[in-house]
Amino acid sequence: MVTNTLILNRYIDMVVSLGICLVTSTAICADETVDFNQHIRPLLVERCVRCHGPDIQEGGLRLDLRERAMEGGDSGIAIRPNEISKSPLFDRIDRTDPDLAMPPEGEGEPLSPDEIELIRRWIEAGADWPPDDATAQRSNHWAFQPIVRPDVPAHAVHPIDAFVVATLEREGLAPSNEADRATLLRRLSFDLLGLPPSPEEVDAFLNDDNPLAYERLVDRLLASPHYGERWARHWLDLARYADTDGYSGEQYRPWAWRWRAWVIDAINNDMPFDRFTIEQLAGDLISDATVSQRVATGFHRNYLHTREMDADKEEFRVRKIVDCANVTGSTWMGLTFGCAECHTHKFDPITQREYYGMYAFFNSTDEVDLPAPLDNDIFRVTTDDSDIVKAQTLVESNEPRPTHVHIRGNFLAKGPKVEPHVPAILPPLEATSERATRLDLARWLVSPDHPLTSRVAVNRIWQHLYGRGLVRTENDFGTQGAPPTHPELLDWLADEFMRRGWSQKELIRQIVTSSTYRQSSALRDDLVERDPDNRHLARQNRLRHEAEILRDAALSAAGLIDRRIGGPSFRPAVPPDAGDVVMAQWKPEPTPDQYRRGLYIVVQRTIPLPYLMIFDAPDGNAFCTRRDRSNTPTQALTLLNDPLFFECARHVGRRVVQRHQTTNERLQQAFLLTLGRTPSAEETDELNTFLAEQSKLLNKYPAFAGDIAGSSTGDVQETALWSCLARVLMNTDEFISRE
Amino acid sequence: MKQTSLMPLLPISDTRRSFLTGISTGLGLAAVAHLMSGEPKARAEETSPSPLAARPPHFTPRARNCIFINLFGGPSQADLFDPKPLLNEQHGRPLPESFTKNVRFAFIEKETATLLGSPRTFARHGAAGLEFSDLLPHLATCADDMCVIRSMHTDTFAHTPGEIQLSTGVSVLGRPSLGAWMTYGLGSLSRDLPGFVVLTAGGRPPEAASANWGSGFLPPSHQGVPFRSQGEPILNLNNPAGISREMQRLQLDAVRELNARRYAHLRDPEIAARIATYESAYRMQTAAPELIDLSGETRQTLEAYGVDRVETESQLQAAKRAGGKGTMHAFSTNCLLARRLVERGVRFVNLYHGSWDHHDQLDPQLKYGCEIVDRPIAALIKDLKQRGLLDSTLVVWASEFGRTPLGENRKEYDKPTGRDHHPFAFTLWMAGGGTKGGEVVGKTDDFGWSILEEPVHINDFHATLLHVFGIDHLQLTYRFQGRDFRLTDVGGKVIESALA
Repeated sequence: MVTNTLILNRYIDMVVSLGICLVTSTAICADETVDFNQHIRPLLVERCVRCHGPDIQEGGLRLDLRERAMEGGDSGIAIRPNEISKSPLFDRIDRTDPDLAMPPEGEGEPLSPDEIELIRRWIEAGADWPPDDATAQRSNHWAFQPIVRPDVPAHAVHPIDAFVVATLEREGLAPSNEADRATLLRRLSFDLLGLPPSPEEVDAFLNDDNPLAYERLVDRLLASPHYGERWARHWLDLARYADTDGYSGEQYRPWAWRWRAWVIDAINNDMPFDRFTIEQLAGDLISDATVSQRVATGFHRNYLHTREMDADKEEFRVRKIVDCANVTGSTWMGLTFGCAECHTHKFDPITQREYYGMYAFFNSTDEVDLPAPLDNDIFRVTTDDSDIVKAQTLVESNEPRPTHVHIRGNFLAKGPKVEPHVPAILPPLEATSERATRLDLARWLVSPDHPLTSRVAVNRIWQHLYGRGLVRTENDFGTQGAPPTHPELLDWLADEFMRRGWSQKELIRQIVTSSTYRQSSALRDDLVERDPDNRHLARQNRLRHEAEILRDAALSAAGLIDRRIGGPSFRPAVPPDAGDVVMAQWKPEPTPDQYRRGLYIVVQRTIPLPYLMIFDAPDGNAFCTRRDRSNTPTQALTLLNDPLFFECARHVGRRVVQRHQTTNERLQQAFLLTLGRTPSAEETDELNTFLAEQSKLLNKYPAFAGDIAGSSTGDVQETALWSCLARVLMNTDEFISRE
Repeated sequence: MKQTSLMPLLPISDTRRSFLTGISTGLGLAAVAHLMSGEPKARAEETSPSPLAARPPHFTPRARNCIFINLFGGPSQADLFDPKPLLNEQHGRPLPESFTKNVRFAFIEKETATLLGSPRTFARHGAAGLEFSDLLPHLATCADDMCVIRSMHTDTFAHTPGEIQLSTGVSVLGRPSLGAWMTYGLGSLSRDLPGFVVLTAGGRPPEAASANWGSGFLPPSHQGVPFRSQGEPILNLNNPAGISREMQRLQLDAVRELNARRYAHLRDPEIAARIATYESAYRMQTAAPELIDLSGETRQTLEAYGVDRVETESQLQAAKRAGGKGTMHAFSTNCLLARRLVERGVRFVNLYHGSWDHHDQLDPQLKYGCEIVDRPIAALIKDLKQRGLLDSTLVVWASEFGRTPLGENRKEYDKPTGRDHHPFAFTLWMAGGGTKGGEVVGKTDDFGWSILEEPVHINDFHATLLHVFGIDHLQLTYRFQGRDFRLTDVGGKVIESALA
């Protein structure tokens, strides 16, 4: 691990966004100078600071600050520069005697001979250790600096393009052409609504001569109530939303969806992000809090819960609070707070004590299932035991629970007492009372001088519109994260976001109206060589649809989709023989409800719907800042054979056969329904050949046509034929991608 | 930077990474390249192996495949593998307070709990004289191939976190499972089947269900694929009604043509990868039914595994929690399928049966559980050995924890007839894969309460398991949320005495 650290310092930029770790067998060449920051500090942090650091100073020794380290500990000087034999620190690490060796047995890996050699050389060379001020330079890390609005370069009219083109010119790259209109319409529809455009919408947009047609389309889509559904799902990923408790069994949460409905409404109403933050983290503490503001606190009720009789109640309560601290740190600040739960953060300036300062904000919360009537109950929500419709909320306990550092993360090993506070590296928090509250914390997060919240939020929005953020490590804005590819653009957007009253719709409008967004996603030959990862944004990215969106797309093409918004979660059908292993408790909803949008599918934490897992949806056990876009054979099997997808293909087949007569018209319509465009001449040729071959097979096995068509009425042969064609189109990479 | 032999540790470009994610096929891009018109040159050379392609380990491995049998619930070690005569002598007496001080139990009422003797008889077996109780007559005949670890310990005493720890190294949800780490580190040896297959028997999944075979933060292509015991072996494996194999091929060809055309236009490597995964899916449609077709197995083999056994009414009455009718058949079939999967190169086969959570009526329940699993597991070991596969296949019997020497005295029980969860000292065993046969690792005290020699934490066990496969557990890491995670978390020490 230590050698990893060394190498990682050199290769951070290269690897950090890859989730890959580097390993090397030797740390340093014999003739290389030992450098404190590069070679020694990581060793001290990794092996020593847990017990000799800011939180605990075993034997009075502290090894994270030069002055303290050189002072020594209870038994005197630990490090004497140039005098290895008089440096007890070296003596202790160079021992095998289990009573004296450091680190003590069970407290971590012993130092390797190479590492011991490094420390020997460092001490013999004078134990050079930069003054503490200089080493506090880690706070010079870009993400902790205030956001300063940069000047917009004079390269283009649209500010975003101006920043992007400035970089492209520097790199000697040209931007890509604008994507064709059909692609643009489809891209925008999926990005803003998560739904494909209908053939009529395609027709209307392609024939709209108005020079502002695109901008008007953006306005129309942002005003659609499906916009809130699409962007709520992104937020649900961060909030580890699920409909069951987790851990074991499938304890259903009948009211989890109330918070989801709140999020959809808030996003549709373009609730400013600062208010959105405050209500979710501390809605209960707002004076004269409304029911809606209390429902918002359901954000943190999404943590896991156990009802197991054999579980230790306090242990599991502590796990919830740890989760609140980690999720808050990640969602609003993009920091890997969790790293500081058991020890001071190895890389970022977050001490373990500060971690528990954050933890303390949430430590006195109690769970309340609050009566919360529905305004407009189109789903006719029923309850088992009473007529009371509820929501899961958090409230502040009357009796604050004291918080202690949990030594090594063990909740039974209580360290020093800690009051709620925020890391010193960040701006100070202004408490409104003697003891800082969650409300103070929420307001602090969205205060204009907070360097992280706005950057993290705009980066995430950018990520949803591009596939990757300007900071590619959207989950790590700390020192181990990747620096922004366009630092000035990021800061301009972050500042603009706040200036425009934290309006997400305004920010999205700004991004999607840029030429940068409207580029083609085709990979040009020069970009294959020069910028295969598309860091410079000389094109758009092609993105496989998320699980829910893919299902919505198929249901839309089939004309089956149920567009009702909000309401309780539903269970889609699973194959009747799927019950033997994982879906025994899964009771599907009556048919019409099954065609609701994917974001309403019940998320069962321990036994999720296989479909969702196959397409990389999060299971709600942990927060998810970016979904994978895997590409597996089981996905192919699902798209080919899953009854729902086949049913959708069949409906597309029926639609084109019933409404259109000629092969050409049918082919056009099938393309419009599934891909939102018309076929090229080559595609038409190819598919005509396919239709001929497929017809032959259907003639050869006439009994199969009825099975494929799913009914014996109408033109069975033709319906079967065009269902097969639809199945082909709905298995193309184009169908499952947003280009 | 030194280059290491382990593929996933090498930095590869971002695009390449996403390009490779999830392509579970041995069919490299070179193979599909000819499908493409307008192929840029640079692309054709980018024929890196897929994330599931076989990869070299850190050092010479002993084993290539793993069959991990997870008998969740916590079988009682004192009634199976670790005899404690003192329990019978002291039956009904309390444990000295020093033992239970500061100990938290799931259900036992500490103040009045007393030791529970075992009615089992133990005998020594094999050249090495390993001890087994009378409930495991078949396994006892494999004694000289087994390495029994009596000094296992784990961190928690509740099922779900315990199971998650056994499967992922820590007791918190969200980490990759053992099998996912293995396919991440080593890839799969199978072209037509998933690298990590899960087989369950007994009608109930373990408490934490699919978290036990999840991929956590690793790419999802590493998650275990559950094979189903009825119907199609893999979800959606079969074509919809009316779509013949001939039609499937025709339609797949059309899909491929359209994809190839799109690829020529957009050059997105994801499209080429998609073409490859569709071919892989098509092959899986043949390979999976062939796998579960047991018609080629001899009568003798089927009998050895006990595939045709049927539960008696009294067995079903005695043990309601061990799975209902058909469990014996299902578990035996799964053991046989495990061998067939290993023969076909599947890296990690994960068998589940439960529950072995015997809080009361332990004797009849444990007896029935053993009747289900004893014969087929022994047959599996012998079958592998006879086919020359045992040397390269590690077989593991494991559970999340063991059971207490104290009887369980819940208020609602008339008298203790079962045992509570015991995480401080329990037994699991390994066979084959370069582990030391006829070996006992570790020693517990005379009550079986705590470990006297060679404690083996779950992390140590995992480190050993990876070691057997040629993986250094410290080097198999994945960076997530700013930290380099490993299966062994912050622990792990290879148990040298378990290795041949």
